[in-house]
Amino acid sequence: MLVGAFACAHTPQLLARPSTEDRDLVLRVHGAFARVKRRLETLRADAIAVVAGDHVEAFFLDAVPALGVYVGSECAGTFGRYRYRFPIHEPLARAVVEQGVERGFDLFYTQHAPLDYAFYVPLHFTMPEPGVPIVPLHVNVYLPPQPTPRRCYDWGRTLGEILQARPERVVLMASGGMSHFPGTDRYASPEFEYDRRLLDALKAGHGRELAAITGEELDKMGNIELRTWAVLLGAVGEARADVYCYEPSWHHGNAVVEWPV
Amino acid sequence: MNETSHYRFPPASAYRLNRCLFALKSDDAFRARFLEDADAAMSELELDAEDAAAVVRGDRDALLARGAHPYLVFMADLRLRIEREPVSFEFF
Repeated sequence: MLVGAFACAHTPQLLARPSTEDRDLVLRVHGAFARVKRRLETLRADAIAVVAGDHVEAFFLDAVPALGVYVGSECAGTFGRYRYRFPIHEPLARAVVEQGVERGFDLFYTQHAPLDYAFYVPLHFTMPEPGVPIVPLHVNVYLPPQPTPRRCYDWGRTLGEILQARPERVVLMASGGMSHFPGTDRYASPEFEYDRRLLDALKAGHGRELAAITGEELDKMGNIELRTWAVLLGAVGEARADVYCYEPSWHHGNAVVEWPV
Repeated sequence: MNETSHYRFPPASAYRLNRCLFALKSDDAFRARFLEDADAAMSELELDAEDAAAVVRGDRDALLARGAHPYLVFMADLRLRIEREPVSFEFF
């Protein structure tokens, strides 16, 4: 069953803070992550299904999958001095890919690919103790053409039904967002007002609105990663968002959010 | 998506350039060789001379103009800076 749903920022500056980043802001986001960690412990999650956008780490231009599931026994990734290795909840991962395909989503799966930091930055701070296995769920956000927000939302709705019918207590975590423009001329001027309006809509339970946003608008607003949120919103329906924090840095709208399920 | 998007379809002509940036970002061994001797490392990848020069200079505008993916330019640079200036980072 689905027992919890969260969205977490994953910018690597939260893990390795350059001197350009406001330390107090970073610590406030860490504080929100600590709340998520306590919630995961309270919810007694058996597994965390993490929906994240690959930063051209597992998949380069040799093959660009849209939506998929990591179905191995474990997964691992490195970022500088950080080394991560997580067990995968294989029965749950298999159920997601098998039932997802059966229900009309042409998912890819992999049993071995490098794990992107979009997965492990939030887990670095939120993994409950003792740790639980994960199910990495991939969404292509950086290599156009990406799946439409509508398609992501529809996949999330099916994913939610699959998780709801499972015996395990599953927490769904969307990793990404909010507004940021890495590598472009807009890097120092994200669309924070857009983020705030969207968070207001989510607080009112209007998650379905994200499904109607075009991919072009997400790109314009620095929010290509919100496709992962669209997946989550498909699963949680009209639940009202509880915004733990929204911390705009000079280049990134850092949000941590919970939805009751 | 269109030609005014921030993240555009990566042109096939820039495949090798993007592969080079991908290696700098994600291949620790290649990044180490690049930091040791950039020109020698670049010679492994059969890039054309202008692409290779833009990578070695870290010339973001030139790289983007040549079809590099903005995110790859960004993270290749960040990973190189972490190696070159580790003391300026606080690790959590």
